[in-house]
Amino acid sequence: MDFAIKFVFDIVAFTSVMVLIVLGLGVIASMMGIFNFAHGELVLLGAYTVYLSDAYGLGTWPGVIAAPFVVGLIGLALERTVIRRFYKAPIIAMLGTYAVGLIIREIVRGLLGGHYKSIPEPISGAFAIGGLEFSWWRSFIIVTTLLVIAGSWLLLARSLIGLRVRGALENPMLARACGISTGRLYALTFAFGAALAGLAGALIVPLYQLSADIGIRFLVQAFLSVMLGGVGTFGGPVLGASAVGGMAAGLPWVVLPVLADPLVFIIALVVVRMRPQGFIGAGRL
Amino acid sequence: MRDTNLGRRGFLGGASALTAAGWVGTIAGGLVLRPTWAHAAGPIKMGIATDITGAIAPSGNANWQVAQFVVEEINKAGGILGQPIELYLEDTASDPKVAVGNVRKLIQDRKVDVVLGGITSAMRQAIKDPIVNRGRTLYIYPQLYEGQECTKYLFNTGPSPAQQCDRLIPYLIKTLGKKKFAMPSANYVWPQLLNKYARKVIEANGGEVVFEEYYPLDQAEYSATIRKITAGKVDCVFNTVIPPGLQPFVKQLYESGFQKNGGVLSCVYYDENLLNYHPAQEMEGLVSCLDYFQAVDDPFSKTLQEGYAKKFPGTKYLFTAGSAATGMYRGVKFYEAAVKATGGKLGREEVAAAMDKAVLPNGPGGGAEMVPGRYHAKMNMYIAVCKNDGGKTRYEVIDKTSMVDPREC
Repeated sequence: MDFAIKFVFDIVAFTSVMVLIVLGLGVIASMMGIFNFAHGELVLLGAYTVYLSDAYGLGTWPGVIAAPFVVGLIGLALERTVIRRFYKAPIIAMLGTYAVGLIIREIVRGLLGGHYKSIPEPISGAFAIGGLEFSWWRSFIIVTTLLVIAGSWLLLARSLIGLRVRGALENPMLARACGISTGRLYALTFAFGAALAGLAGALIVPLYQLSADIGIRFLVQAFLSVMLGGVGTFGGPVLGASAVGGMAAGLPWVVLPVLADPLVFIIALVVVRMRPQGFIGAGRL
Repeated sequence: MRDTNLGRRGFLGGASALTAAGWVGTIAGGLVLRPTWAHAAGPIKMGIATDITGAIAPSGNANWQVAQFVVEEINKAGGILGQPIELYLEDTASDPKVAVGNVRKLIQDRKVDVVLGGITSAMRQAIKDPIVNRGRTLYIYPQLYEGQECTKYLFNTGPSPAQQCDRLIPYLIKTLGKKKFAMPSANYVWPQLLNKYARKVIEANGGEVVFEEYYPLDQAEYSATIRKITAGKVDCVFNTVIPPGLQPFVKQLYESGFQKNGGVLSCVYYDENLLNYHPAQEMEGLVSCLDYFQAVDDPFSKTLQEGYAKKFPGTKYLFTAGSAATGMYRGVKFYEAAVKATGGKLGREEVAAAMDKAVLPNGPGGGAEMVPGRYHAKMNMYIAVCKNDGGKTRYEVIDKTSMVDPREC
């Protein structure tokens, strides 16, 4: 029993990490129709912010708090200078964002000298319930993920801003005719997605090492999650990420670990084949 | 939203951004370090082919710095029998495809007398043929590795599996009393072959391997592995998972209370570079086995470290064993000894024949000697345990075995 509880806790913790990473990607893909290949590097920048704050002796907390704002601003700048040129050409947008990501990644690799850096958890150690120990930081990530999901959903599905964003996505011409500045909304949405990526990076970096590739290793699985859950909805990517994260963590228990990764993809692709619209059909936000 | 018409020109713009990103940090065309004086017979040309950029760059740069350091020492002392060494660097860029072309440059354009370098086994496999067979040049490979490399004219100056396991595993079993081993590993050639050897030594010493598993190199989640370690009552983890998959594994292992319940984590590539890879509490008690640690009490090694620190003050690329830097030192010195023995002749046959019997009285961690006909060197091996002094980690050397046989070829 103890065994099962710990295992489930670990799986839930990893699933939360996946959901956090996918959330920003899903928001940008669903609301703007842009598959942001620089998402992994926005996660990296969030992680790097924490590293900088720790390296300059401020501790990790200021970095964790600052990361979403710093990366959100970087996202805003990126949208204004680069991304907005790509809305008409989604395929070119993929290449463009990939290039942006590559530049960010290689710059950070240069700054780190190619090394890996260990970042301490802001809350270290574990707490015990009934003789079982649970890591504080992993618990913190689980709770934060739930709060972020709730907050993002309220903002996008229940607020006036969210309504306008969805309107701008649905019919940009009509939205503009109604006096909505779609350009500004797109910029805000992209910045919001980037901020979520920054937060994800800041929260997960104590669990992994900071390296230039911290974001890229999750990127393919994150795209798979968005496909699996369904583009164009808010709940879809969250569900997709939960499914992919849960499978990635749990499958190595039953099959050879080297087979687990491909198996996740096969299962997901079969599901996507059977339900091309994803778990949740488009347009029901 | 401003309408932007992205046509061919925009696309080309994006493509050049991609190229520009790939360009960051590449050294195009190689690098030459000439000695400050000349000799009638001309300089000895030494080629270094190592990973200056890419994923293996931290080790590659350490290798390059050590090569510069030891060559400068040799040249300062008058070169090899009066002939200075000229150093040629080519970047292998952590990518065997790029490496082959660059290594060819060393051989065909620079016409070097010897090539040292390569860190991963994939790299060695890729560049050994252009160097040894098609290039007819001597090749020295400096990194600890999985063994079984018995190519003529290819000399290995890092430790073999036997050197890393023969003393360490009996220590884990007999001295620390650990019996049940788990072998979590990254899925590539070094862990596979090292584990094969280690398993034999474990079983010969009365230990038991509970499981041996291979993961994708960048796996981020190890819950299932940790549960297998707990369920199998494993008391020694013989780890060959490497970065970037390494850090989440070590953290999850620590969180599961493995070390607190008396488990021992052992890993044979952990050197001083790795001390900062994990929080101190996760590193505490880790057992490693290498040909050199900075904590080794040896006056010659200490002088080497001081000289290196003076040449590269505050460098992030340390002179350590795990990153092939000690093997690079030995490689250059073995070559020096061999050329001295041939009386300054640089022909491949003569130098290889002399190299086969070369002996180094001193080096990082002590001297070394080539085992004739076996392309590998005997060297001292050290077992070290990681200590945690209030959040600062360091190694404490607890065992030294002199002149361990590589048992290869």
